[in-house]
Amino acid sequence: MMKQLLKHGLFLASMGIVGAVHAHHSGAMFDDTKVIELTGVVKEFQYTNPHSWLLVDITNSDGSVTTWGFEAEGPSTLMRAGIRKGDLPPGTPITIRGNPMKDGRSGSAWIDAVVNGKTINPRNGFAVIPAAE
Amino acid sequence: MTELKAAARLSLLGILLVAADALTAQEDWLAKDANWNEHKTRLQAFGERFENAWELYTYLQETANGGKALTWEDMPKPAYNWSGVYTRTGGGLSFDPDIRANETTAKLTEAGASARQRKIDLITSTGGEYDPLSDCRPPSFPRWATEPFLHEFVVTPNQTWLMNEMVNDVRRVYTDGRAHTLPEDAYASANGDTIGFWTDGMLVTHTTYLISGQYQRGTQPDYSDQVEVVERWKKVDGNTLEADYWVFDPVNLGEPWYTRQSWTQLADDDNFLRLRYWDCRENQNNDILEKNDGTSQFSDFDFIENDAAVSTDEDVRQAAE
Repeated sequence: MMKQLLKHGLFLASMGIVGAVHAHHSGAMFDDTKVIELTGVVKEFQYTNPHSWLLVDITNSDGSVTTWGFEAEGPSTLMRAGIRKGDLPPGTPITIRGNPMKDGRSGSAWIDAVVNGKTINPRNGFAVIPAAE
Repeated sequence: MTELKAAARLSLLGILLVAADALTAQEDWLAKDANWNEHKTRLQAFGERFENAWELYTYLQETANGGKALTWEDMPKPAYNWSGVYTRTGGGLSFDPDIRANETTAKLTEAGASARQRKIDLITSTGGEYDPLSDCRPPSFPRWATEPFLHEFVVTPNQTWLMNEMVNDVRRVYTDGRAHTLPEDAYASANGDTIGFWTDGMLVTHTTYLISGQYQRGTQPDYSDQVEVVERWKKVDGNTLEADYWVFDPVNLGEPWYTRQSWTQLADDDNFLRLRYWDCRENQNNDILEKNDGTSQFSDFDFIENDAAVSTDEDVRQAAE
């Protein structure tokens, strides 16, 4: 499955299709010219339609904690990307990347993440892997 | 005598030309293969022979001698077994999957071109837009054909159901021989009223009584509430459904718009894929507001204590008041 995702994910990237991640609403609120990378722990995985939100607690340099929300597609697209709700329980250490919001709030369009040394990419869920005929 | 022979030859030639025209008027299913550009041109030209969608549909129905009535015994046959979980094969957010989403092959009227230009201008000036789908309104048909996410298709002898997970969207195609709802009883709706028939393993449909909409957001054209569509669905191999679409819209289209739509059955070896309920109100973080400049914004995150105090967006602060 992962081999198939890698093959099709790379194909999608080469076709420039991966940019169509906001299939349900316009992506006007995100700044796709910027990428943030944060390290923290999973607070909650809201596995919902039409969009899922991964909430991650980030400890700031002064010891305070900011909760960031990373938006991805809904459950069916995440399943196709090989990302299940049970993969990211609360407390899971994570390094995550996203396009931040333009208005300064701690929200972001989720690009990818590293969990337990493994890279996961929610946008691979748009890869079309055909059933065997 | 010579003049009579010449006249006879001319008459025969005329008969042959009419017969040849009749032979090519019934356009067969054409494969999306190496000759697709030529095939697509023929299918576009075929649609242009007709004044409206109903004329095309009735022509196809008459040449199919009314179509074939299916029985439950037909259901396991490959042509009618559309089981499995599908998604759109490709095309992104372009109604014509052969081209990029910022292009169109539609032959637009002046009104249609103006409507599209307004969308281009909005995106150019603001960098974004507001899509009515953001609050879980249905995409409406024919935009339905361009939406991604999971699909299921169920063929029965008297009805075929075409389902998209997004907003729990189901189109029902009645194939039991019934007519459309009478005009005096009809009203416009997102998916309209669809009837159809089967011929040679293909499902031919006609859809009317639709609301206005857009083929997709971005720079895809708009359609009016006069839009009508003829589809011709076919299972072309073990995991692919394709459909000819001829869209007629006298407001926005100078000619019918032909495209070939396609859906691929997805690998699902562990039976994990399934269509889930789709409701924007299940998660507060999916609440989208339409900004005063015509673009989109999240209104009120549950992981931020006071959005208005943090956001630099005036619309967010106004929404909080």
